[in-house]
Amino acid sequence: MTRIKTLLMASAALSLPAAAAAQAPENTIVTALSADITTFDIAQVSERGNSNIMRHIFATLETTQPDGSIAPDLAESLEITEDGTGYIYTLHEGLTCHDGEALMAEDVAYTFNRAADPDNGFTGNVPGFLFSGMQFEGAEALDDRRVQVNIRTPNPIARGLIAEVMVHCMDAYEAMSIDEAGQNPVGSGRYQMVEWDRGSQVVLERVVDESEAPVERLVFRIIPESSTRTAELLAGNVDLVTNVPPDQLDVIDANPNSDVYIAQGLRRIYVGFNLSDEFAAMPGGDAIQDPMVRRALQYAVDVPSICTQLLNFECERATGLVNPPHNHPDLEPYPFDPETAEAMLDEAGWERGEDGTRFSIRFQAGRDRYLNDVNVVQAITQMLQDVGVDVDLQILDWASTYVPLIRERNAGPLYFLGTGGNIWSEFIDMNDLNSVEAGTNYTHWDDPRWFDGWDVIRDPSASPEEIEETRLEMLRVFYEDGPWLHLYSQPDFYAMSSRLNFTPRQDERVYLWTATLE
Amino acid sequence: MSLPTDTPATVAPVPDTQLPPAPTWRRELRRAWASMVASRWALMGLIILLIAIFVAIFGPALAPFDPNRQNILLRLVEPGGAGPGGSVYWMGSDALGRDVFSRLLHGARVSLLVGFAAIAVGGTIGIIAGLLSGYFGGWVDDIIMRLGDIQLAFPFILLAIMFLVVLGPGLLNIILVLGIGQWITYARIVRAETLSLREKEYVEAARAMGDSTLSIMFRTILPNIMAPLTVIASFNVASVILSEAALSFLGLGVPPNVPTWGSMLSESREHLLSNRWWLAIFPGMAIVLVVLAFNIIGDWLRDHLDPRLREHG
Repeated sequence: MTRIKTLLMASAALSLPAAAAAQAPENTIVTALSADITTFDIAQVSERGNSNIMRHIFATLETTQPDGSIAPDLAESLEITEDGTGYIYTLHEGLTCHDGEALMAEDVAYTFNRAADPDNGFTGNVPGFLFSGMQFEGAEALDDRRVQVNIRTPNPIARGLIAEVMVHCMDAYEAMSIDEAGQNPVGSGRYQMVEWDRGSQVVLERVVDESEAPVERLVFRIIPESSTRTAELLAGNVDLVTNVPPDQLDVIDANPNSDVYIAQGLRRIYVGFNLSDEFAAMPGGDAIQDPMVRRALQYAVDVPSICTQLLNFECERATGLVNPPHNHPDLEPYPFDPETAEAMLDEAGWERGEDGTRFSIRFQAGRDRYLNDVNVVQAITQMLQDVGVDVDLQILDWASTYVPLIRERNAGPLYFLGTGGNIWSEFIDMNDLNSVEAGTNYTHWDDPRWFDGWDVIRDPSASPEEIEETRLEMLRVFYEDGPWLHLYSQPDFYAMSSRLNFTPRQDERVYLWTATLE
Repeated sequence: MSLPTDTPATVAPVPDTQLPPAPTWRRELRRAWASMVASRWALMGLIILLIAIFVAIFGPALAPFDPNRQNILLRLVEPGGAGPGGSVYWMGSDALGRDVFSRLLHGARVSLLVGFAAIAVGGTIGIIAGLLSGYFGGWVDDIIMRLGDIQLAFPFILLAIMFLVVLGPGLLNIILVLGIGQWITYARIVRAETLSLREKEYVEAARAMGDSTLSIMFRTILPNIMAPLTVIASFNVASVILSEAALSFLGLGVPPNVPTWGSMLSESREHLLSNRWWLAIFPGMAIVLVVLAFNIIGDWLRDHLDPRLREHG
């Protein structure tokens, strides 16, 4: 009996999960996601797949369009105060939240102030990236329909950042604890949540007119394993799969009921150098404090081969943290030149020892979040080892282990990450490092040549030429002495059932109220 | 007694039946071998196991490539395809251009090491706990058995995942987790046997002769319960190898630079739909064969060591 049982277990390990026989239901889009949902609190969310679902539940004051322009959402108009530090939004009439509560200016102010309140200890994208980027000071209701968002100094990207903040009502959230709010969203958007089966699926139902959202029901299924996601698509149980592995594109394309859509994404994939004092005391952490060592390692990694072989697309290596067309026009991507890397490491004082090793260093990465990430980090590890760096690669579970490390800015000394990008402003991609203490400065980099540049950019008296000159100088510093090992902007591979009409955006925002079903 | 002087110096051969009996272990070995040869399945299991152990010991020397050496320009080469410098990838290459055959040979060592080491950890804890529990009884027995009950209330794989998420993946951690997961199996068997043996005359005699408690437990009782433990251990090795494969499949096994059959199977998932069969079939077959071998030998050992079956035989 034991023999039969163990044999069955072995067979089960070999078999692919069988696709269910049922077809995707009528008037419902089923999307397969790789990562589980961690929160439904707008102040706590920091992961794109998670925020994509939430954006269907929560509306924003304004919304960024695929072309980078900004369009109204909850607000019908915007007025900016003369000194450039007050953004006054006028809300549409008759807005309500999903529990029936009227959505007024005080609700918007409450949403902003709650997310910024340090007593709440939120670590999501709103306080950690948006608010620190715009230097948020506070929000206040001027009357029932007008709300003013205040920032410390005029800021060229504040409007776009405010447009990212999802809005909810006050009464429901005042009645809930922080934990409860993360599990029971009371939204203001086109869909409301009707079911959240943790680790399995989230079901949303339309609460607006069909003209605003043609599809009645959205199901987001959590399927961590990529070939299972693809198998479900091929079986007709799923309409949309994001982050399709490159090695499965041919299979999907060959199926008559599914298509592949490739977008040049804006997510910037990089290896970060964590330069905090704590990591400087660790093996390898001391070596990467030296900009020459960081620069040497740039030459050790063959990014074009990683792109063509592991990601199935031709890429140009990034020169910094800014997506084209706003990147520095004169900087050339670091070439793959291991000899130069070795010479620079020698010069920096890290010569090979008797065992061929220059120094050891830990390299942390999450699993199955980005395109072919496990293979990419292993390839990078091999390339660094080839120039004498003994790399201790740790591949960690994304949601339970790696995300908390990243949130605490405690991954490293080398860590692998992708950070979402935008092109609606030349400054938005730089905003990850808007201050040394920014929640998205996972590297603890503190070079004043970069951070002092923000004072010029935010100075209302600075001329456009002066600002642009400063910006380009900051990008040059980042390229030469920065805290990233530059890799690539990730391509986005979407697989769709043939009944789905949907055009993916470059910025990974999957807003399905723009989609229709045949 | 002296021989007559006219008697030739040669001694007539003595019939076998008059020879002094061979030492017990040699007789047992002969009997075991005869029994194994009679049961062809057991012999097959033994051969597979010996091959696996040979590969685990000498595999790294036999491997044509460094199992971790990547060559991303030669990824996903089919079995028999050309490798670097005119060499051949006999079992193909994986998604990073590593030789599947070399990884399979290296993986044998890790899989068997995890299997045996986890049993050593679990067996040691379980035997000590079972002896204490069975010999002393009372509150010692209650505490140890209730601890076991609590552990058994959780599905093992869930417990293992929880520990590995906290401790982090790694060879030592996976051995510890899998070993600790097994202790209660041994503890229960040892306890039951100890409960019956502690009242036997030879145990009483040892006590009367002033042997210490430790000596009675480990030198008098333990040798008499090794037979059922050996059978359970043989089944458990198979189960532990499968658990390691399952945990590696879930990404909680050993680090990525340590090739194991389970992690190779895990890495093959993304390529099954695109018909890169060699990535799953070879490590899958290796797991199946070794697990099968351990189970067959476990079955045979159970039959062979069972005194009732021995008498009937």
